[in-house]
Amino acid sequence: MAKGRELVGRIKTTENMRKITRTMEMVATSKMKRASDRVAAARPYAKALSDVISSLFNADLAERFPLLRQPGAEQRVAVLLMTANRGLCGGFNANLIKEARLTVGQLEERGVRVDLHVVGRKGIGYYRYLGRDLVTARNDITDRPSAADAASLVDGLMADFAAGVIDGVYVIHSKFNSVLSTPPHTERVLPVAAPKRSGAGRDYLLYPSADAILTELLPSYVRNAVYRGLVETAAAEQAARRTAMKSATDNAGEMLNLLRRTYNRARQANITQEIAEIVGGAAALQG
Amino acid sequence: MLKVSVVSPEATLYEGDATSVVAPAFDGEVGILENHAPMITVLGQGTLRVEGSAPARFAVSGGFVQVVDNQVRVVTEKATPA
Repeated sequence: MAKGRELVGRIKTTENMRKITRTMEMVATSKMKRASDRVAAARPYAKALSDVISSLFNADLAERFPLLRQPGAEQRVAVLLMTANRGLCGGFNANLIKEARLTVGQLEERGVRVDLHVVGRKGIGYYRYLGRDLVTARNDITDRPSAADAASLVDGLMADFAAGVIDGVYVIHSKFNSVLSTPPHTERVLPVAAPKRSGAGRDYLLYPSADAILTELLPSYVRNAVYRGLVETAAAEQAARRTAMKSATDNAGEMLNLLRRTYNRARQANITQEIAEIVGGAAALQG
Repeated sequence: MLKVSVVSPEATLYEGDATSVVAPAFDGEVGILENHAPMITVLGQGTLRVEGSAPARFAVSGGFVQVVDNQVRVVTEKATPA
């Protein structure tokens, strides 16, 4: 029963694999829950900032703030790509990298010099493989990114932008629309696009002045955009992993059914054949 | 009654009703009571005190306070309960 032995081995392997993928699915589910809570917790802050900036913003101010400067033609820009540190999450990293290649390609076609900043081992690995120089390569950002992580990523870029070294900053991250929809997304964080004013503006008492308040808030606004990107990417990664591991578990189940059926059929055929041989042998003795 | 919320990038640290708020503005403390005029002020470093049924204190550094229609929003990158 050589074939039977082989099938028993494969059934065991598949069972073990299904155990692992099911565990990974459950781990990803619980991590995703916590990560999506963090996405929700980041919303009030972002809303408060854009409310105040939009109520203070007007076109006169725009010319005085380096972070609002609109460069005529882009000559050199920074692209910040956020990927995961780990794989086994379906097309998640591949989708982000594809989006990055597209964005960088479009920029370079217009003759813009692109500085690449990459977060996450997967993105770093890809660009290392292509032999491209990375200005920053960070793999120390965990699946629980903090506001300090975002600040360490973007503070240098803000200084460069204010000094006129670079003319724009693009962030490529995953949007966490829902568990099933986590599309890659390119967002231009610098120059700052002032949020649209909603409703009528109120007359605020401003201390010390609108200028001073904006000087304080604009960097926070940029840092927050990057923080939101990190948090959403972290949540999207877990969502993608959950989906990938769920389908792996389902596929393993299907394969198990098929293997068990084949095994039982082989076993039965074997028994039938043995009986036929015994009956045949007995008949020969009698005859 | 004032509706007070203290938010940082990572979480909402406080949300509730209060009778008064004392915030460390850039040039000294500013007290906020009911029916305060709409105001936005930059914060310095110091202790934020929320007084009322659920009093609380936070060490804050930077950020701003927005007061409008008896709603007080303290928005800061660094706030720790103290």
